[in-house]
Amino acid sequence: MAFPESKTSLWSPAGRALASVLILGYLAAVIVPPLAGPPPASELAGRILQPLRPLVGALFLGHGYRFFAPNPGPGHSIHWTMMMPDGSLRSGSVPDDITDRPRLLYHRRFMVSEKISALVPPADAPADVQLRARGDWQPLVKGVAATLLRREGGLSVRLEMVEHYLPDPAEVLASGTFSDAVVPLGSYAWAEASR
Amino acid sequence: MTSAVSRHHDPRSVDVHRAGFGAEWSTAWNTFWFTPADPLPLAVIRIVTGAILAWSCLVWLLDADAFFGTAGWLRPDQVWRMNDQPWQWSWYFAAPSPTMVRVLGGITLVAAILLTLGLATPVAAVVSLLGVISAANRAPLNVFGLDDTLGMLLVPLAIGPSGARLSLDRWLAIPGQGRGGEPSVRANVALRLLQVHLCVVYIFSGTGKLFGASWWEGTALWGAVANDRYRTLDLRWLAGHPLVVNALTLVTLWWEVGYAALVWPRLTRGLCLSLAVAVHLGIGLAMGMMEFGLAMIAANLAFVPASTFQAVLDSRLMSLTPGTPSDHP
Repeated sequence: MAFPESKTSLWSPAGRALASVLILGYLAAVIVPPLAGPPPASELAGRILQPLRPLVGALFLGHGYRFFAPNPGPGHSIHWTMMMPDGSLRSGSVPDDITDRPRLLYHRRFMVSEKISALVPPADAPADVQLRARGDWQPLVKGVAATLLRREGGLSVRLEMVEHYLPDPAEVLASGTFSDAVVPLGSYAWAEASR
Repeated sequence: MTSAVSRHHDPRSVDVHRAGFGAEWSTAWNTFWFTPADPLPLAVIRIVTGAILAWSCLVWLLDADAFFGTAGWLRPDQVWRMNDQPWQWSWYFAAPSPTMVRVLGGITLVAAILLTLGLATPVAAVVSLLGVISAANRAPLNVFGLDDTLGMLLVPLAIGPSGARLSLDRWLAIPGQGRGGEPSVRANVALRLLQVHLCVVYIFSGTGKLFGASWWEGTALWGAVANDRYRTLDLRWLAGHPLVVNALTLVTLWWEVGYAALVWPRLTRGLCLSLAVAVHLGIGLAMGMMEFGLAMIAANLAFVPASTFQAVLDSRLMSLTPGTPSDHP
């Protein structure tokens, strides 16, 4: 069905000028954040972003849009072992592909391990790198520990970051078994995890 | 007289007395942004977006305390580590109690349902947008591309007359008082914002991949297939077909890199949008991110002409009307 062009919907020059300013502001808030990060990014883009931060933050536009870039990497999960009040041990994984249903819930929990893994260096990284990185990831890991302790009713929990091995096609065709890389994230009692 | 008035207001004829480069740019800008457009595509996008958002809200509510509560995955005093405080506001910061977290999540859910139905649409769209932003800014450990895409979709839906077609608002409007379904500049601005934003997403997603050797080598798709954390469809049989993996990887890469140029010309638009549907459905089915895939497909609908949606609607109406030729093939 074709509509007749509505004359009343045509805007005055002043209306178009105002709308143009607003459009340009919005487009700047859309385009500048992915130019400014994640690295590598120019200092210029970083500086242009500064006055836009309130708008970018308020409208949730601060994205890099680097989906599966630069290369699709291995997946991660956080394996946990918990001491229960009766002295028994309980273990599990975040995310848990059996119990975390529906799939969107799994994916939201999967993001916890994926985002923390980006802050955790490999187990064989130099000691000073490990120490500096710990200051970034440990506050987040404490939140994971507290959430698990509350959910399971445990006394303490030991956490490990598991990087799931990404086999190449030849390894899959050979039907080999693969071992995952594990980085300890520490043990947390209830009081420490809640701090 | 009518034509004279029409010419006076026609953005394409504005500033005709000004010659040269600036005038051409001005005319092109006005034509692009301020030509009235049918709000039908916006209405279709509204229905899909509202439904996805309602589902997303239900999932947030399944574990609301862990996502938004004071002692969840990420405590409120640690959120600054992951996003740009204080600009990334959230209503969950102001009301972190278990009851209020559920109430606020429920408000977003109701808004999303109203948005889908097109009831009180302008308010529902704004509240839905506030709900999405609040959830994403409070739980940055749990958000991913779906939330980015919902934000991208909801800004135009809040700006434009997204309830002007296919809505309860339109159905309930009093006849003779204007139902608001006619072409409008606001509908055009909303659709254009979504189109341009989508092009920006694909430009950065595509060029970001150009840093990666696996995308040039044509093996990146294998990285997604072999990742057992994402896998919902077992495609490991592709290990024996490396050229197929190469082809799928390279098509994905160059479609994404070229999207912003190829989606505008009519000649290549259909191919571009068909590949978008294939790629996003593929990600949804094989990597368990169907909501993200559908949201991206909804965004791509901004490039589908209103006449296409109208033709589909007309054919559906014809098939539902007794005695029409379509009943007797």
